[in-house]
Amino acid sequence: MNFTVLMQYIDVIFREMWQRKFLCLFGFALISYLVLIVGMFWSSKFESSATIFADNQNILKPLLENQAAQTQVQDQVKIISDLIHTPRILRQVIIGVYGDDSFGSQLELEQKINQLRGGISLKSLGAKSSYIKLTYQGTTPEESYQILNEVIDVFIKTSADKQRSESREAFHFIDSQVKQYKEQLVKAEEELKAFHATNFDGTDGGVDASISRLRAQIEELKISLDESKTTISVLNKQLANEQEYSTSRFTANVYSERLADLESRKRTLLLNYTEDYPDVISVNAQIADIKRIMQDSENNVDRVEKPVNEDSKILNPLYQELRSRLSLVQAEVKAKEKRLAALEGLKDKEYERRKRIAGRGAEEAELSRDYSVTKRIYEDMLERKEKARLSMTLNIEGQGVTYRVHEPATLPTSPIGLRFLHFVIMGPLAGLFAIIGLAVVYILLDQRIRFAGNLQSLNVPTLAVIPHVKTPLTKRIVRADMVICLAISVVIMSGYAGLAYVSKMGLI
Amino acid sequence: MKIVSDVQKGYDASSRGIASANSRSEIAKMGEVDRFSLKELDELKILNGSMQNSKILNIFRELRTQLLNINKKKNFVCMVASVSQGGGASYVASNLAAVFALDKTKTSLLIDANIYAPSLGKLIIGGAETGITDYLSDSGLDIKDVVYATGIPRLRVIPIGENREAAAEYFSSDKMQDFVKEIRTRYSDRYVFIDSPPILDSSEARILSEVVDVVVLVVGHGSVTQEQVEAAIQIVEKDKLAGLVYNN
Repeated sequence: MNFTVLMQYIDVIFREMWQRKFLCLFGFALISYLVLIVGMFWSSKFESSATIFADNQNILKPLLENQAAQTQVQDQVKIISDLIHTPRILRQVIIGVYGDDSFGSQLELEQKINQLRGGISLKSLGAKSSYIKLTYQGTTPEESYQILNEVIDVFIKTSADKQRSESREAFHFIDSQVKQYKEQLVKAEEELKAFHATNFDGTDGGVDASISRLRAQIEELKISLDESKTTISVLNKQLANEQEYSTSRFTANVYSERLADLESRKRTLLLNYTEDYPDVISVNAQIADIKRIMQDSENNVDRVEKPVNEDSKILNPLYQELRSRLSLVQAEVKAKEKRLAALEGLKDKEYERRKRIAGRGAEEAELSRDYSVTKRIYEDMLERKEKARLSMTLNIEGQGVTYRVHEPATLPTSPIGLRFLHFVIMGPLAGLFAIIGLAVVYILLDQRIRFAGNLQSLNVPTLAVIPHVKTPLTKRIVRADMVICLAISVVIMSGYAGLAYVSKMGLI
Repeated sequence: MKIVSDVQKGYDASSRGIASANSRSEIAKMGEVDRFSLKELDELKILNGSMQNSKILNIFRELRTQLLNINKKKNFVCMVASVSQGGGASYVASNLAAVFALDKTKTSLLIDANIYAPSLGKLIIGGAETGITDYLSDSGLDIKDVVYATGIPRLRVIPIGENREAAAEYFSSDKMQDFVKEIRTRYSDRYVFIDSPPILDSSEARILSEVVDVVVLVVGHGSVTQEQVEAAIQIVEKDKLAGLVYNN
């Protein structure tokens, strides 16, 4: 919509209004007076406000880091709001301000409580601020002031009581829980002890170790047994090759060996001595003896072939030696076999024990799990109990989250919101804008043609647009009408001003 | 109507002089009437050549040119009708006639056929007894008996007359046909304008539109809707409708 079109609209609007000037004046007067009358009956509101400080930044905080549970600041506004808006507190406030029996019926009291509830509002000063602003809107300054003061008093008192009782209850609750868990813990401990007392099988690990040890011993023993058995077979073979008794050939050999020996000795002696040296003579004698014996034995060869004579029997020393070693090894094998059997038996027993231990393991795991869980909870509870004790002590001492009045309520001096003066000013403006608005609505809704441009949509040419003609007569009439309208407006406005003044002075 | 004795001398003298010098100005009574003063013309909302507000004069001159073009410069009978009551057809008709009369080579005749709200009698200085309805109903009357001079040079008026009851019948009569033919053909420089009743509110307007050459529809500010204008356009024969005039 460009400027020309806007001007056309304005022109048309004022033309329509001028055509209905008296109706417009009447409407204007009506609306102005209505606004003024509303203003006369409009009750002013007085707002009293106070700031309270939710103090949880006290000196003890660094000392108690994470030890005593403290209320978070973010929740403060909600907590305080919930608390203040409870009927109990509101009733206390009303009784405190108006006295015990100033309300005739319960209904009136309830109405007053509802009014109070609507009037109180809370706001945190800043997102993480501990300062909370309370405001109350009442009909008189004194009422606002008194009620806000009473609200804060009752609230601070109640909140302290509430906190104390809450932390005490919490402590008692945790305390009773701790006792229960302690009983459970003792019971679990006893069960575990009883289990251990009846368990002789030792641990899994022990059994495994002894089994592996036994296995190693058995293996070792088996190897040495094999060794001994091999020795026996070798000895048996050797024995089979040897005669139990030695033969005469054997004796001859011994003599010829002896003879060779003696002759070598004689040659040695002859290197230094002569034949007549006693030693040489002795050796010659021995050699002769030997030769004679050898001669004799050759003559007795048949006797040697037939060992009929027991005395002439000579035991074979090698055979004897082999026999004695064989019997020794055989005894050893016997002992080892015995030992192997014993070890196998032990191993079987260990296997049996391991089976028993596995069976009891599940039972033991359950018992020890019970025990450890209960123990953990108990310790946790114990810690909590100490925290609760600390919180309780803090609250009793007044060192927890406390509320202090930071800025006390003040007696409001001027009302808030719309005042009578606003209505007085608003009346004529509202009347004027309402009339113009109605004219605009009328023109927009009315289908009749008010702009020559509207004819262009028809298929017939517009030959001319004739402007509004003012003759001297119509000008005179307009002037006269303007004077009349002005006069009426003056009357309306003086009546308006008079009514406003009278009302302001409190005469009505 | 008050007869003005102290007419503005310059205007009067010049117009009278021109009138007497004009050979075609043979119409009776011309010299016998006084002219309206500028003030009176203003009061009557009639345009004149020396108007201060030349914008509106130019608009009517432009309208005159358009009508002349439509009728190929020949003289014509033009009916001016509002779409609905309060459109200002009488104002447009009388001023159209006045603007045609401003041209010294043309005369104009204004016929008041607005039987519901006749208003053109005030242009006749001294008042009038008989009018168009009397002429149509009384065979004893001649055309010249109902044509009156006005306070405006070269502008004649036929008032409504006294016999308005059966106007519709008179307007549709043969005599009306003859009458229109007669007034058109007698003087080739005469332009005839009929101030008709509102076209949607009366049957007379429709009847009249059948005998005239040209129809101009007047749309009054804030008086009719677009649908009403369309309905009015439907009533008039398409080739007779010259166009619309929007009257603020």
